[in-house]
Amino acid sequence: MSSAGGALIVTLLTLTLIKSTPIIYAALGGVISERSGVVNIGLEGMMIGGAFTAVLFSGMTGSPVIGIIAGIAAGALLGFILGFAATVFKVDQIVAGTGINLVAAGGAAYALTLIYNQPGASPQVSALGNNFWILVAIAFACAALLHGVLYFTPWGLRVRACGENPRAVHDAGLHPLRLRLYAVILSGALAGLGGAFLSIGEVNIYSDGMTAGRGFIALAAVIFGRWTPWGATGAAIFFGFFEALQYVLQGHISWLPADAMQALPYVAALFAIAGLVGKVRAPAADGIPY
Amino acid sequence: MSYLKRTLGGPAGAILLAFFLAAVAMLVAGVSPLDGFEALFIGSLGGRNQIAETLVQTTALLFPALGITLAFRAGLFNIGAEGQLVIGGLAAGALGAHFAPATPLAIFVLLAAGFVGGGIWGGIAGWLRAQFNANEIISTLMLNFVALAVANYLVSGPLKASNASGAETTPLPASSYLPTLIPDTRLSIAIVIAIGAAIVLRWLLKRTVFGYELRASGEAPDAARRNGVNMPRMTLLALTLSGAIAGLGGATIVTGVLHRFNTQLSPGYGYTAIAVALVGDLNPLWVCVAAFGFGILEAGGLAMQALADVPKDAIHVIEGLIILVLAARRYVATRAEAAPI
Repeated sequence: MSSAGGALIVTLLTLTLIKSTPIIYAALGGVISERSGVVNIGLEGMMIGGAFTAVLFSGMTGSPVIGIIAGIAAGALLGFILGFAATVFKVDQIVAGTGINLVAAGGAAYALTLIYNQPGASPQVSALGNNFWILVAIAFACAALLHGVLYFTPWGLRVRACGENPRAVHDAGLHPLRLRLYAVILSGALAGLGGAFLSIGEVNIYSDGMTAGRGFIALAAVIFGRWTPWGATGAAIFFGFFEALQYVLQGHISWLPADAMQALPYVAALFAIAGLVGKVRAPAADGIPY
Repeated sequence: MSYLKRTLGGPAGAILLAFFLAAVAMLVAGVSPLDGFEALFIGSLGGRNQIAETLVQTTALLFPALGITLAFRAGLFNIGAEGQLVIGGLAAGALGAHFAPATPLAIFVLLAAGFVGGGIWGGIAGWLRAQFNANEIISTLMLNFVALAVANYLVSGPLKASNASGAETTPLPASSYLPTLIPDTRLSIAIVIAIGAAIVLRWLLKRTVFGYELRASGEAPDAARRNGVNMPRMTLLALTLSGAIAGLGGATIVTGVLHRFNTQLSPGYGYTAIAVALVGDLNPLWVCVAAFGFGILEAGGLAMQALADVPKDAIHVIEGLIILVLAARRYVATRAEAAPI
């Protein structure tokens, strides 16, 4: 019994790491975008873009590494679109991000039918296999790197200043809009990488709806993690744990139906953002066009 | 000139752009845009049955779009119309299958159940925002996924029809169907209810103190508070009502179209409805017009896929691009003290 319990815990922890990884990437993307002052509701769409493009290019070239790079590029491209709209056109960021999500989801579904002639899911492509652990490790490296960049480099200071007071950044002779654009492109690249991990890291296909709201859970992780890279990473692991828990419990607890357990990560996210009353403060200029 | 500029920079420009993009999407799929548009319009407006189906889609979009309009006017981003629609439909379907009295009154009970169900679902987000300052964008989105999980669980377990192969509830008794508007089509009087709801919403927003306070708390929250508007109460009410309207829509799909509840109730009406509300300029009457336009796209998209071999998902890309373009207009008053996101 105790050895079975031990095995269960190992499975749970392993699964937690795997399930957290895409959320960590997207949440780090959310942190950098919001610290610069742009709310990125489009994280979900950028993950979809990354997941689909990674499958497309891995399938075409037979190289999952090229697939991953293409996924990052696709996320960055969507990030560029949102960033450009948010800086040059000063759009409502929430509305624009919602648009990005619809474009990405519809575009992937459209392309599935057009390219593979099979709606719903792509054929199997070459995936990372066991090498996906490298991407798990890189997620934590990205968190450390982003922490270093945000808090210990001049560029990071400027990005954070953009999110608090873009006027002051402008008066200091810098370009707040350019800084925001770069931050959102980087945000998209990270979310795209998270999406690519979902499609050719964990499995080897793209299917419609496979991101299942992880981009939005990542947004909750940004809040829960108080807009810091390590905080968001910790929150992402928290949500990843509930996703893993759902799989582990399914075989063991009969009174709690599988469908109900699918709601676990979302309910956890609800409780997380509701449980922070009066304890958090977003960057002052977050979501406000400059 | 400035009028032309304003119109082209707004919804009209977005619609023109939509047609252009649709043409591009058809070219990408290797279809002549002329053939594609012909299929689109024949499939949506080419005859009595096609027009009826377009109006069915119009109705399904109009309810959630009106709900979204109300919330956005209050400065609240309700992205959760999809979940509110599903819960409304589930409430009507569950009640209709098991407890509905076999009287003409039943239909009112079922519609009320949808209204209340959607209202509770929107109200949860409103309560979380009012009580804990939990951002409504995230909570309404999370509640979409929770709603689907709840519905999936109930229709494949406790509420599953005993003789059904798929996951769905027991069919409603015919006495609780919404009356059909055009015989031998799926169009019920739900369209009339939807347009009535739009008129009521317009009256509510423009002509009542509540509507005035609601718009004030969206556009100038500070001034609203100083003039005695109870902001937490307004947040709760606005999101509850917003969800209730979407939930009523779900109930009309169950009682008017499907005659039972299943989880294929909505192919994403709640998300498309965001585009409908924005193209309609958050004005209830224009939202009706916009819903008809998107109804053409939804109904015609299937015909386009069947007749011209253009994947219907192209429609959703176009909708997303319309939202992106329209985001440049600042419809939505961002509350000065928006919850953290």
